[in-house]
Amino acid sequence: MSDTDPNSLALALDAATALSGVAMRPEWREVALVNLATIAAAAQFVAAFPLDDEAEYAPVFQP
Amino acid sequence: MSAAERTAAEIAAAVRDGSSTARGETEAALARIAAANPAINAFTDVLADRALRTAAAVDAARAAGRNPGSLAGVPFAVKNLFDISGLPTRAGSRINRERAPAGRDGALVRRMEAAGAVLVGALNMGEYAYDFTGENCHDGPSRNPLDLSRMTGGSSGGSGAAVAAGTVPITLGSDTNGSIRVPASLCGTFGLKPTYGRLSRAGSFPFVSSFDHLGPLARCTADLALAYDAMQGQDPDDPMQMVRSPEPVSAGLEAGIAGLRIAVADGYFARGGTPEAFAAVRRVAETLGAVQAVEFPEAARARAAAYVITAAEGAALHAERLRQRPEDFDPEVRDRLIAGLAIPAAWVARAQRFRRWYRDRVQEVFGTVDVVLAPAAPVRAPLLGQRTLELDGLTVPLRPNLGVFTQPISFVGLPVVAFPVWPDAGLPIGVQVIAAPWREDLALRVARYLEKSGVTNRA
Repeated sequence: MSDTDPNSLALALDAATALSGVAMRPEWREVALVNLATIAAAAQFVAAFPLDDEAEYAPVFQP
Repeated sequence: MSAAERTAAEIAAAVRDGSSTARGETEAALARIAAANPAINAFTDVLADRALRTAAAVDAARAAGRNPGSLAGVPFAVKNLFDISGLPTRAGSRINRERAPAGRDGALVRRMEAAGAVLVGALNMGEYAYDFTGENCHDGPSRNPLDLSRMTGGSSGGSGAAVAAGTVPITLGSDTNGSIRVPASLCGTFGLKPTYGRLSRAGSFPFVSSFDHLGPLARCTADLALAYDAMQGQDPDDPMQMVRSPEPVSAGLEAGIAGLRIAVADGYFARGGTPEAFAAVRRVAETLGAVQAVEFPEAARARAAAYVITAAEGAALHAERLRQRPEDFDPEVRDRLIAGLAIPAAWVARAQRFRRWYRDRVQEVFGTVDVVLAPAAPVRAPLLGQRTLELDGLTVPLRPNLGVFTQPISFVGLPVVAFPVWPDAGLPIGVQVIAAPWREDLALRVARYLEKSGVTNRA
């Protein structure tokens, strides 16, 4: 199942809201799923770009 | 020239030489706000008592022979995500207005007032800054002073409207993905998004720590520079601020463009907008004699990565409020934040790794040019309530796409000045002057040159 498969997105959304304790109304869920599909498409587009394992990100944390 | 058209620099000069007073300027600003705000809905709080007390202190300083500051008596207002002592920092939300009042002003408010400016109010914004429209279900939309039926752009919608209506010469806003530059474009004002980490964010309500910036909006470049210079400086209260000495820009503003390598952003930035967006860039390029084109590689992917990180960090910030008070969010914001709760960590990490790759490519571009031009918004101000845009023959959702040209730039923290071009007698559209990190001076110099050339003048 791909990340953007509607069923996997619905499962992910339901699991995440349950885990976060968010009581979601059905009408919110419908819109949130559309938004999650957009995010998933963006994430897949990013993931399709090849990056070496050594390509670390650049956080700023000064101990 | 009407009082509403005077620049901050002119007001400060008049207060310093005694031909005006801070009290007089403040009273005039309060009167302009009272007259304009019922129509534009830019101000959510008007701080008359505080402002008159501040103004009295500025006038007293001058009377005592002390320097009243570079912004002496200049009225200004801030997006309501800046802490203001005695007010809950609402950040455009219903929930936050139940917070305890802020114990002190945000860092940039303090710096503006230390330079003699006078805070007169707090400004409307899209809820929690997750917005490009300036609409807000709790406070009502800010309305574009150029056409009250149209959007200001957001999320710093009140900041754009207050300047465009002439109530105050300077406002402060925040820009995570374009929230200073989009309102500047739609309202026909100037806006500066400094380099990421340049100005302190302490005492402001956050949205996406990876991308949050604060900066000024104004009616001219010189006022952006004045405010920016007043706000620079190290602040240990902001853990993300870079260690960097102040680099004042006002003195060099008139240096012109001789020797600068100026290019137009091609590829991603040359499609996905209306013809007037690209015509505005061409007109600016012709004025500057810029013939070179450059490409920020993978800009579309940069926007996608910014989209993922924004949704994830925004959801993480608001998770507890989503759990406790989901009914009290603006629905336009809530349903996107809920979606963000379901983002796997792997997607965010990948987007952050891509961000570093993209930063390195962008730095290579700035090894060959000094300044890059790009549209600030794909369209002129849409109608309030509008849900879609027609771009390149496609119908696309309006909300995310208003930031299509700003998001890949703030993603890597580049400094940008957005300024208006007026294609005809109708509404303006903005252009971005983008510079290498820490080179706000170059972006402001180019914007100032364009201002003097007349290209930013209303048709």
